[in-house]
Amino acid sequence: MSEAMQKVGIISCSGEEIPEGTISRLATRRVLELLRPGATVTLCLPLFLAGNEAERDFARTHPTITVDGCEKQCAKWGTEQHSGPVSAALVVSEILGGPCSACHRSSRESGQAEKEAIWMVAERIAAEVDAVLAQTTPAGMCATASDGEGCACSSPMPGGTITVNGTKVPIAGLPLIFEQCAGQGVPAESSGSHDLLNVVKIYHPIPLDEEPAYQEALLAAYQQFRRDV
Amino acid sequence: MMETDKQTVLVIPCSGIGKVHGLISREATYLVTDELAPGQTQTQCLALLVKGDADAVTAVQSHPCITIDGCPKACAQKNVEIAGGTLVKSVRVVDAFKTHRGAEPGSASGLTNDGWTIAREIAEAVTAEVISRIADREVAP
Repeated sequence: MSEAMQKVGIISCSGEEIPEGTISRLATRRVLELLRPGATVTLCLPLFLAGNEAERDFARTHPTITVDGCEKQCAKWGTEQHSGPVSAALVVSEILGGPCSACHRSSRESGQAEKEAIWMVAERIAAEVDAVLAQTTPAGMCATASDGEGCACSSPMPGGTITVNGTKVPIAGLPLIFEQCAGQGVPAESSGSHDLLNVVKIYHPIPLDEEPAYQEALLAAYQQFRRDV
Repeated sequence: MMETDKQTVLVIPCSGIGKVHGLISREATYLVTDELAPGQTQTQCLALLVKGDADAVTAVQSHPCITIDGCPKACAQKNVEIAGGTLVKSVRVVDAFKTHRGAEPGSASGLTNDGWTIAREIAEAVTAEVISRIADREVAP
C-alpha cells in the first residue's frame, strides 16, 4: 500500500451483554462493506487485546476509530493502552441518545429498531472516517477497494446498477439501501423518488445537474426491487 | 453482569468480527443464554474481561465458564484462562464445520440457514454440558 493511501482501522467493542454491543459490531461491518469499502479495515478486538502484534502494529501506524457500546469504552481503552491515541472514539449509546431499549442482542430478533440504530451509527462512523481521511490523506489520494490489499474484513458488499441517461452506473450496496428505504416506508412511486435520491447521495456522489436523471433511474430500480421482494 | 447464582454458567464467545465464525460463536451464545438455558446461563463481555474490569474478573473466577471461539486462536478461552477463570469447556466453531463440508454459513454480518444450523448445533452441545453440570450438582451429596 502506498503510504499516501491511508486506511482507517475501525475497532468495535462487540460487547456481548448489551444490544449496543451488537449494534457497534454491525454498524462497523456496514461501514466496511457498504459505506466506506476500501478506505477502512477492522481489527478483531479480542485478538488485538490478546497481544496480536500485527493488529497492534496496524493501530500504531494507522488512524483508528473505536466504536463502543457503552460508556465503559473497552475498545478505546484497549486501543490506547496498546497502540496509542485513537483518532475518534464513538459510543453507541451516546449516538442514539441513550440505551437502545427496543433493540435485541441477537440478530434472530432484529427488527426495525435495530435497522435504524445500525444505520444511524454506521453513518456517524462513516462521517468520522471522512474527517480522519481529510486530515491524513493528501488531496486527490484515497484508498480504493481495488488496491489488491483488501481482506475478508473489508471486502466490499455487492452493489447494484442503475441506468442513468442510457449509461449503466454501479452503486455499492444498492440492495441494502433499498431495503433500508423499504423499511422506512419510502413509497415505490414518484413521491418517494426524492427520498431515494437523498439516501443514495450519502454514499454515491451525484452531480447536481444529473439529479433528476438519477431520481428517475433510482425510482425505476426501486420499483423493480420492491416487485422482486 | 447481573446478579447471579454461583452456579450460573457463563458462556463467553469471541465474537470475532472478521469472519462468519465469530458471528456463529456470538449467535450460538445467545441461543444458549436466551432460549435453551436462560435460567442457568449468562454471557459476559469479553472486552470488559480483557480490560481487567474487577467485576468481570470476579465473575469468571466465581462461575463456571464455557468459551465459544470462532478460530484456533481461541481468544475467548485464552483470556478467560489469563483472568484466572473457571473454564469447564471450550468449543471451537471451526471444529463444527468438519461435519458440515460445503456449508455456506453466511458472512460476518449475517447467517444463512446453514450458519444458523451450525450455531444451533453448537448451542445444543453447550446446553448439554450445562445440564450435565446441573445434574452432577444435584446428585452430589
